Amino acid sequence: MMRTGMILGLTLFATTLDAQQTIGERLTGRVPSEIAALVQELGGAAASRGLPVDPLIQKAIEGNAKAIPADRVAIAIRGVVAQLDSAAAALRDAGVASPVDTLEIAAGGFAITAGLRGRDIGELARTGRPTSDVIVGLRVAGTLAAMGVPREETVRLVGSSLRAQQAPGELLTLPGRVQSEMARGATPAQAAAGLARAAAAQARHGPPPDRGPPPDHGRPPRPLAPPLP
Amino acid sequence: MTQHEFDPRVKQLLDGELTLADLPAELRAEGEEALRLLAAVDRASVSVPAVTWRVMAALERRRRRLWWLAPAVAIAAAVVLLLGRPSTPPTTLSATVVTVRFVLVAPGAHQVSVAGTFNRWDPSATPLVRSGTADTWVATIALPPGEHQYAFVVDGARWVPDPAAPAVDDGFGRRNSVLTL
Repeated sequence: MMRTGMILGLTLFATTLDAQQTIGERLTGRVPSEIAALVQELGGAAASRGLPVDPLIQKAIEGNAKAIPADRVAIAIRGVVAQLDSAAAALRDAGVASPVDTLEIAAGGFAITAGLRGRDIGELARTGRPTSDVIVGLRVAGTLAAMGVPREETVRLVGSSLRAQQAPGELLTLPGRVQSEMARGATPAQAAAGLARAAAAQARHGPPPDRGPPPDHGRPPRPLAPPLP
Repeated sequence: MTQHEFDPRVKQLLDGELTLADLPAELRAEGEEALRLLAAVDRASVSVPAVTWRVMAALERRRRRLWWLAPAVAIAAAVVLLLGRPSTPPTTLSATVVTVRFVLVAPGAHQVSVAGTFNRWDPSATPLVRSGTADTWVATIALPPGEHQYAFVVDGARWVPDPAAPAVDDGFGRRNSVLTL
């Protein structure tokens, strides 16, 4: 038991050290030294919790490029870490296998930035679709929220589409389809609701006869999470 | 192509300084028309084998740098095997990229570029060029699938969100445009 603990500790230490080294290399000459030090510290800790570090690095570089004062950049970076932690917790609570895919956490973090909540992330992750599809679903959900689609309608539309086994390429068309409906005079909520109804019908009755099996046909589905208490 | 002179408030809309809701009712149709003209984002999948090469090269560099961690990695791998996981299917790297055209109408601008997560927020990395009318600036670049955030940089100093794209809070009190491919 003690040996296992030492091995895990060593692995954790190596992961943290590698993350800090990578962060240091990527930030050298790009941001002030105090911001680089902060990202190294927060990024190392984030990596040890299984979080992606790229969003932190991006936010630091973005802040410097936009000539934002260092104290405000630091606040924004801490905000990114909080969003990633929320997304990871939501995915873990949804029963996603641990460790959770860092791309999935980053996609969840983006969705939270756009206005979704942790329970929305969990609901989309519980659709039982493969990780790669859920990642695209979370990105699309964030984009829809950024377009002004209300949170509930966003989750209903993307959730129905995922349950209808729509392929990632099809999920990616959702923002454009919502935009088309909005151009015809629908509100974002109305546009999303109409598409969600169509996706729900597809989930119940299967895809139209002229459409073949989804491109991910044959891939193992993600195990469904146990019901919430 | 004939040059169309927009109302100054529509130009502010195109610059991201106003939203459609801020325009008076009589200008909304003109504003919507201007935004429609801007929504010229071409998307066409093209295969770029070089992407695969770059990914492999990056992995190779990483492997060389990590040689001194080999014992710890070996132990970690053994632990993973002993614990008998993972159950999550691996996420595959797509070898395709998507060609995207960025368009901004920026009256009076002398220089326009686009900076975002895809070019490390470097305002000098992706300049736009004048196209058609003197006020229209365009750039076409290939991007990997994923979620990208960006903004236009006008005259090297003014960060302007794309009026034709959804946007999120950038954490600094401004907005970043979002492109999901």
